[in-house]
Amino acid sequence: MLKRIALSLVTLWLLSVLVFAGGRMLPGDVGRAMLGPFADQQAVDLLNKELGTDQPLVVQYGQWIGGILQGDLGRSYAYRAPVSQFLGTAALNSAKLAGVVFLIVVPLGIAGGVIAALNRGRLPDRLITITGVTATVVPEFVSGIVLILIFGVWLRWLPISATWPSGAGFFTQIYHLILPAIPLVLVLFGYIARMARAGTIEALDSEYTRTAILKGLTYPQVIWRHVLRNALLPTISVVATQTVYLIGGLVVIEIIFRYQGIGSLIYTAANKKDFPMLQAGVLVVGALFMIATTIADLLQASLNPRIRFGSTTS
Amino acid sequence: MTINFKLLDALRKGRTEHENHLIDGLVSGRVSRREFIRFGSVLGMSLPFLGSVTGAVGLGGLPAPARAQAKGGTIRLGMQVPAAAIEPVKLGDSGGITVLSQTAETLVLSGQDLVARPALAESWAPNADGSVWTFKIRKGVKFHDGREMTAKDVVASINRIADPANGSNALSALKGVLSAGAARQVDDYTVEFHLDAPNGSFPYALSTDNYNAVIVPHDYDGNYESKMIGTGPFKLESFTPKVGATFVRNDDYWGGEVLPDRVEVFFYEDYQPQLLALQGGQVDYLKQIPILQAAGIMNDPAIQMLPIPSAAHAQVHMRTDKAPFNDKRFRQAIALCLDRPKIVQGLMRGQAQVGNDSPFAPAYPVTDKSVEQRQKDIAKAKELLAAAGIAEGFEITLTAEKFIEIPEYAVLIQNAVKEIGGKVNLNIMDQGAYYADAVFGNSPWLDSDMGITNYGHRGVPNVYLTAALKSDGTWNAAHFKNKEYDQLVDSYIAALDVEAQREVAGKIQRLLLDETPILFTYFYDYMQAARQGLNGTEATAMGHVFFQKAYFAA
Repeated sequence: MLKRIALSLVTLWLLSVLVFAGGRMLPGDVGRAMLGPFADQQAVDLLNKELGTDQPLVVQYGQWIGGILQGDLGRSYAYRAPVSQFLGTAALNSAKLAGVVFLIVVPLGIAGGVIAALNRGRLPDRLITITGVTATVVPEFVSGIVLILIFGVWLRWLPISATWPSGAGFFTQIYHLILPAIPLVLVLFGYIARMARAGTIEALDSEYTRTAILKGLTYPQVIWRHVLRNALLPTISVVATQTVYLIGGLVVIEIIFRYQGIGSLIYTAANKKDFPMLQAGVLVVGALFMIATTIADLLQASLNPRIRFGSTTS
Repeated sequence: MTINFKLLDALRKGRTEHENHLIDGLVSGRVSRREFIRFGSVLGMSLPFLGSVTGAVGLGGLPAPARAQAKGGTIRLGMQVPAAAIEPVKLGDSGGITVLSQTAETLVLSGQDLVARPALAESWAPNADGSVWTFKIRKGVKFHDGREMTAKDVVASINRIADPANGSNALSALKGVLSAGAARQVDDYTVEFHLDAPNGSFPYALSTDNYNAVIVPHDYDGNYESKMIGTGPFKLESFTPKVGATFVRNDDYWGGEVLPDRVEVFFYEDYQPQLLALQGGQVDYLKQIPILQAAGIMNDPAIQMLPIPSAAHAQVHMRTDKAPFNDKRFRQAIALCLDRPKIVQGLMRGQAQVGNDSPFAPAYPVTDKSVEQRQKDIAKAKELLAAAGIAEGFEITLTAEKFIEIPEYAVLIQNAVKEIGGKVNLNIMDQGAYYADAVFGNSPWLDSDMGITNYGHRGVPNVYLTAALKSDGTWNAAHFKNKEYDQLVDSYIAALDVEAQREVAGKIQRLLLDETPILFTYFYDYMQAARQGLNGTEATAMGHVFFQKAYFAA
């Protein structure tokens, strides 16, 4: 476990170097990018001096990473304010949207997959499989806009903007998140259902299930105790990796639905050469990825005695 | 047209030589009513006075202000998220201008018709050669913190943006016009501006055109976002960077009653969601939509399109110092390949005006419309090529920034040049890469043989004429060096008189048409949209949006 954490930290450090260097390899200097091509050179030089972007890269990196180690994420170049102020809200927003999506898609996907597996080859199976595959290949920007047109513009049942009015209560927030959650549910449903279906089928075909049936357990008992427990292991790791997609990769959905999440925060920061914001955003997403996969491993271990007891036999 | 000479004589009394000369022009018909109003306002004559003169000449006065409308309501504005902090001195993006225009104002307003109107200044007048301008500051204007605005605040605000030490975005607009310390207080309500050189359109340099020239308190501390203390029709209620802002009516506003109770501003990262929000009734007004994106809502009966004619354009520069572009016949041949009306229709959906290879857009009153319009003429283009000794099959590279319609425009040019047997290689690059360091030697924009660059709107063509075309111009991508041109531009800028300006403008237009260092094929409209029923809004092609007289029709 300790080794694993150490490895994560090294990975994060490498990520910090990569994102720092990567951003600065793009052509054009920061002051120029921020003030635009038509700004006076004097103004550009002054801004670079103010931001410290006229210093050697090694010095800049040292200052930045030193700040990070002390918990200071730096100040946004574009907004002249602490990055943490933006990142905190964005991370919370992303977590809320991801939460709503998971609450809908995880039970739906697992139930769908298990039902499909139990009805293997019959109508419910085909229906679930085909719906899942079809929904997965529809890009979010297509389903998102279609949903907005139907529920926002035409029927006017749901708000188009995912950003709720300030001071809105819990239910209003959920209400604003329903529409943006649906395209993500569509994308993830097929994926999760397929994993759940495959896992369930494998478990159903296994010898321990046959043994369980043969020793006279009731059907629900077999499914619940023996099949699902084993079937859901791969599904959990899929869900864990999707967490990161839901938190850091929702640029399109966040832009269409006007939502301030980490995805669009990183995207606009990259566009505007707002390096402190970009770097902090990427690091946070990287850290979340590490945490999510670690949690998934722990969960797997708790479900799987072989991992839990450290046995090496497969 | 009956001229009331008696009234006219009474009106002429006490007017300066420049002003009487302009009135002569109007009476004799050399100056149109529209030009008279525009130039009269630049010289500092008040609009009611100008209206009396046009009335006396028999051209009709100015339209009466609209009838008062019901107070109240909230206007919800959708717009692209501002690129940086809202800070009057440094700000340089259209989104920032929109937010700033709710709370802060300039001395002069250059409205949709490009007429300079008094805003925080009541009146202004130049000295005999236009090198010193005296501005009378409006009395009784209050900042949002309750203090009165005086000459002290004006002097501090203008000197602040003219001082290189503050790194203001206005430095490029004020270069060669006004230096730090050149604004001097005469008394509490009078300010003198001592210019670097005589300038006949100086009021535009202190107008909404130069959006950084807003008047903020003299002790402004550089943090505008926290309170947004200006003199504008709305006061800040809340501002969340990247998300939006809310404003409430300023009951002490100097410019008459402000109608809406509130203005709510919503920031978006992209245009598509804004169009959907307008269609879905979640916003009432979109501050700007690229014409290509607007096509989807142009036919929606619930939406009104609000185009503002502007001088915004895409310049196609050709390096006049590099073969084959160093031969003007070659440059002319390229210019003759383009079918301009077709470009306006196809590329800009008809929402643009045809250009004639000079920055004098049709929207400018000084533009000499008698200059012959260049049209597509393949036969002549081929003749010119032959005369220049360039064989068919020549190859050139067109570099362009990836920005709204520019990549499509590049392809149109590529196809057009095929007609004279030329091959155009396209090099379309990201905006950051295209501008790079924005200095000669390290910027595809300024170094490429041929390139396309987007230029935003300006109320007067001065910046296009100087920075982009003068021999020492900092944005002279065409590397155009022409003594005669430089002299013409200097005299154009110094001219205080509409007829003199128009005469020089015509000469400049003809010279540029002949030399063709830059192709100006269209000037596109600045497109806004609102839902039907919202009336009384005003805006500029720079990005200002004024809601103080806006109301919803019942």
